[in-house]
Amino acid sequence: MLKKIFMIFKRDIKVNTRDSLTTFLLIMPILFAVIFNIMSIGINDTTVNIALIEDENPELEEYLVDFAKVSVYPDEASLNERVERRDDVFGLVNSTNGYYVVQQGNESEGSVEFARYMITFFEEGVQLSDTTAVIYDFERTVPPFKKMIVAIAIMFTTIMGGMLISINILEEKAEKTIRAIHLTTVTDNEFIIGKGLTGVFLTIYGTIAIVLISGFSGVNWAQLFIITLVSSIISLLVGFMMGITSETFMDAAGSVKMLFLPLMAGVMVVELLADKWQWTVYWSPFYWTYIALDDILSYTGTWGFTLMASGIVLLISTIIYILLIPRTRKGLM
Amino acid sequence: MKKLWYSYTKELKLSSKSFYFYVEIIMAVLVIGVVLFLVPENLNQYQTEYVYLDMTEMIEENYRTMMLEHDVDGKIDTAILNLDGTEITTELFITDDSKVYVINNKEDMIALTKADRPYVGASIYYNEEVMDLAYEYYLQGYESDRLKNLYQIIHTEDLNEISLKAQQVEVKSLNDNYVELNSKEFSLPVILTFNGSLMGMFIIAAYIFLDKGEGVIKAYAITASKIWHYLMSKVLVLMTVTLITSTVILLAIMQFKPDYLMFFLLLITSTFTFSTIGLFLSSFYNDMNKAFLAIYVVMMILMLPAITYYLPSWQPTWVTLIPSHNLIQGFKEVITNGDRTYILISSAVYMVVGIVIFVITERRFKKTLTK
Repeated sequence: MLKKIFMIFKRDIKVNTRDSLTTFLLIMPILFAVIFNIMSIGINDTTVNIALIEDENPELEEYLVDFAKVSVYPDEASLNERVERRDDVFGLVNSTNGYYVVQQGNESEGSVEFARYMITFFEEGVQLSDTTAVIYDFERTVPPFKKMIVAIAIMFTTIMGGMLISINILEEKAEKTIRAIHLTTVTDNEFIIGKGLTGVFLTIYGTIAIVLISGFSGVNWAQLFIITLVSSIISLLVGFMMGITSETFMDAAGSVKMLFLPLMAGVMVVELLADKWQWTVYWSPFYWTYIALDDILSYTGTWGFTLMASGIVLLISTIIYILLIPRTRKGLM
Repeated sequence: MKKLWYSYTKELKLSSKSFYFYVEIIMAVLVIGVVLFLVPENLNQYQTEYVYLDMTEMIEENYRTMMLEHDVDGKIDTAILNLDGTEITTELFITDDSKVYVINNKEDMIALTKADRPYVGASIYYNEEVMDLAYEYYLQGYESDRLKNLYQIIHTEDLNEISLKAQQVEVKSLNDNYVELNSKEFSLPVILTFNGSLMGMFIIAAYIFLDKGEGVIKAYAITASKIWHYLMSKVLVLMTVTLITSTVILLAIMQFKPDYLMFFLLLITSTFTFSTIGLFLSSFYNDMNKAFLAIYVVMMILMLPAITYYLPSWQPTWVTLIPSHNLIQGFKEVITNGDRTYILISSAVYMVVGIVIFVITERRFKKTLTK
């Protein structure tokens, strides 16, 4: 049985390595991880952006650099032009009555307050060295945003694995080789697993590349491997179904959209909604994958929680598999 | 033009019978359902803080009174936090932008801050020397130096005095006509961009390879129709489907509030451009298998401006150069009845770029269509 599954897997790898697809598959997770690294540095360092008029008050510029991102402009007109752009930047301009804050008008109230406080601190001569506050930290280095985006990227990789399978199956369909399979000793289950291995391979490679390049090499790899493997099953099943039930690439491409919905719903609910609303996405395997990945990437993942989340994803996958058996058999015929 | 119209209506009839057409409709209904029933109207991003009060009862009472002045309902709630399976009862103050949990034990506060990763943990005590409250902050470690400096600078002078002076600083708004959006409405620009234009890139490539596979394209070579009629009819079908689904979504969420004239203009021009990008990318490949990842990578990169949309204080120049940035911001202007000039300029750029890519793509297809 294993030999037959491996033969199908080997054949898919061979077909995929004939063209540029493999290069893409290998480069893409690396490309994304590099982009995430660049992005997370910038985002984590963001408090508020302040624009000043050049040489109006070099001391103020020097003072504010410790608290905000400061940029300078030659005159008030160009400062206003900068503030009016689509991001959040506040201007601080001196007048006969002291400094005033220039805002675009759609910024959050908290950010405006921040700008007001900053200029007040400066005018009152408040220095950092006078502080009575003490700061301790837990020496964690991974910012939450980076963790979130890496977890999403891993889940996208699992979906891509599913998409790859659907494309491989559609090709088989187009070349009418699925019918030929029935003349061999390969069973339906062996065919499904064999076809799925390419997607699993891609998912595992993608996960390792993203995690390593993003600087999470200290995670518990065994836990990460288990949750990624289990969650890839669901994408593979759906990918397989897309391939079997779709008549054309176009139908399959349309179905891909449907997969993004449970994925993003899971992430959005965890990140944006209160605990009392979490139950609304318990049905989504991506929800369980996301919270397990979040734990693992935080270096706080416990075996109990990882196994529980993996078990739930596996259970949902099994239910979907059982529900899909009749359609899969029909499709394979 | 007659031939183009004929090709378009034929393609539309065919696609209306396909599974893809129904997927689009189902997706639009799902999006409406999620936005209407699952996304709350006001998605307050509360800053969670865990604090321990290390002070005499009298000062503690003063602190509570001060916190209650800022509490949204003016009363102290009770909340239960979980620490390694042990339930810890806390007092909860909810202000407009933060949730402050008062924890009775310092060790518990530190352990909970480490485990739950709130925005900040703090032990507050009365400093006899300065005769004021002083703070010991417990942070995770990944916070930037600028943020740490902020925590420190607010504990130097009498904050009440500073606060009074800060309120006197004048704020000048360059524009007072901004419309405030609720969470449902705010999510629309990203949804419309992703659901319409970006997925259009993907769909149109699939469309082309479907025809290649069935030999439709070779058949085209022996008709009187031109290649650009064929390509344009595909683009038009996609534009029609996007127009229907996006309009339904916008109508359901925002009824007649948005600027529909500008919406149609931006949607039509952007869908045209992104569809032609899809066509252009697919002209380099012989089958969907190969084109799939190229389009996927481009699509993911085009989604990056969605992050800057949600984080307006982080907007590096390289992100603003990604073509979908103007689309997301343009849709925001549409739903707020905002800057028409921005929408007009963006639409004009999309149109010009779309035409240029379409001409290049048509030439490429002339050479490669039947291969």
